[in-house]
Amino acid sequence: MMLLAKAALGLGSTLVLAGAYTMREGVIRIDVDEFRSGGSHVHLWVPAAAVPMAMHFVPREHMRHASEEAREALPILHAVVKELKKYPDTQFVEIEDSDQHVQIRTHQGKLQIDVDAPDQKVHVLCPLSTIEDVTSQLEEHAPGA
Amino acid sequence: MSDRKRGFFAKAVRTATAGSLPILLAAVVLSPLGLRAQSTAAPASPSQSTTSVPKDRWLHVRVISSDAKGETVRVNVPLELAEKVLPAINKDRLHAGKVRIDDSRVNDVDVRALVDAIRTSKDGEFVTVQSNDCDVRVAKQSNHLIIHVLDKQNSKKSEVEVKVPMKVVDALFSAGKDELDLVAALHALSAQGDTELVSVKDHENTVRVWLDSKNVTD
Repeated sequence: MMLLAKAALGLGSTLVLAGAYTMREGVIRIDVDEFRSGGSHVHLWVPAAAVPMAMHFVPREHMRHASEEAREALPILHAVVKELKKYPDTQFVEIEDSDQHVQIRTHQGKLQIDVDAPDQKVHVLCPLSTIEDVTSQLEEHAPGA
Repeated sequence: MSDRKRGFFAKAVRTATAGSLPILLAAVVLSPLGLRAQSTAAPASPSQSTTSVPKDRWLHVRVISSDAKGETVRVNVPLELAEKVLPAINKDRLHAGKVRIDDSRVNDVDVRALVDAIRTSKDGEFVTVQSNDCDVRVAKQSNHLIIHVLDKQNSKKSEVEVKVPMKVVDALFSAGKDELDLVAALHALSAQGDTELVSVKDHENTVRVWLDSKNVTD
């Protein structure tokens, strides 16, 4: 009985810690709703810390290909994210009129993109540290790196 | 406490301690990561807070359209961010924060010579055109290059005013012969006080580009 209790406590605490570690950087949230016939509805919540971890399991040739595809954008992305981290709660772009509202901002260290239009709603929330980790990993796999 | 109860209590404590061991170990192993995560997530320095410290200089663009849709565009860019990001963009004519221009002569005007002439001259009006169609004024005033255009062609007038510090103009033309140094211009701009750079007003739109220390538009 005691052995079972020990095992349960150990397993439980490990699960709690694993959960806490996975969720420590928050979640990547992507919500896309297109209000038209056949429009897509995507709702994605992924633990942010899981993405860089999962990237370690991506086959090397796929990473190299992705890195090559993003070659031009990577230095820009790296520089942008590095600088954006200095401004964790800032509105950078806001466009609004009578029926749509677009904003690009950082909120609590996350990049937030919101589009509220009559035909679609897009909400993206991604921790800047995750973007930085992903960018770094792609840069590491760049040809000649 | 009876011996039986004491024995049970001791056993329970040992069990709990043994059960907590993985937690303690995991906490010790993960603690640097946790600290790292906190340091990345938390708004650490004062410059990172919502209210900027005075050294942060922000370039603001605001477009207000008075048409039926009433569109408003607000863009706030920290000059430091622009200074750091621009050199990373290498596309077409933009390389290392500099824009390559094919020839400094634009429409048979030697822009560089013109800027040199303006730089060395005293304050005053260089160009004044007044006609039924438009009024144009180019002047140097308090170390600022001022361009003012009033378009009277349509019944709906439009007015453009550009006011650029001469140090910024100098920095812009400080690169090689066929280049404009955007990063140097931004750097020079960041040393300036609060100022309105561009103002455009017509019957439908109002555009303002200005520089200050706030990270929000007014």
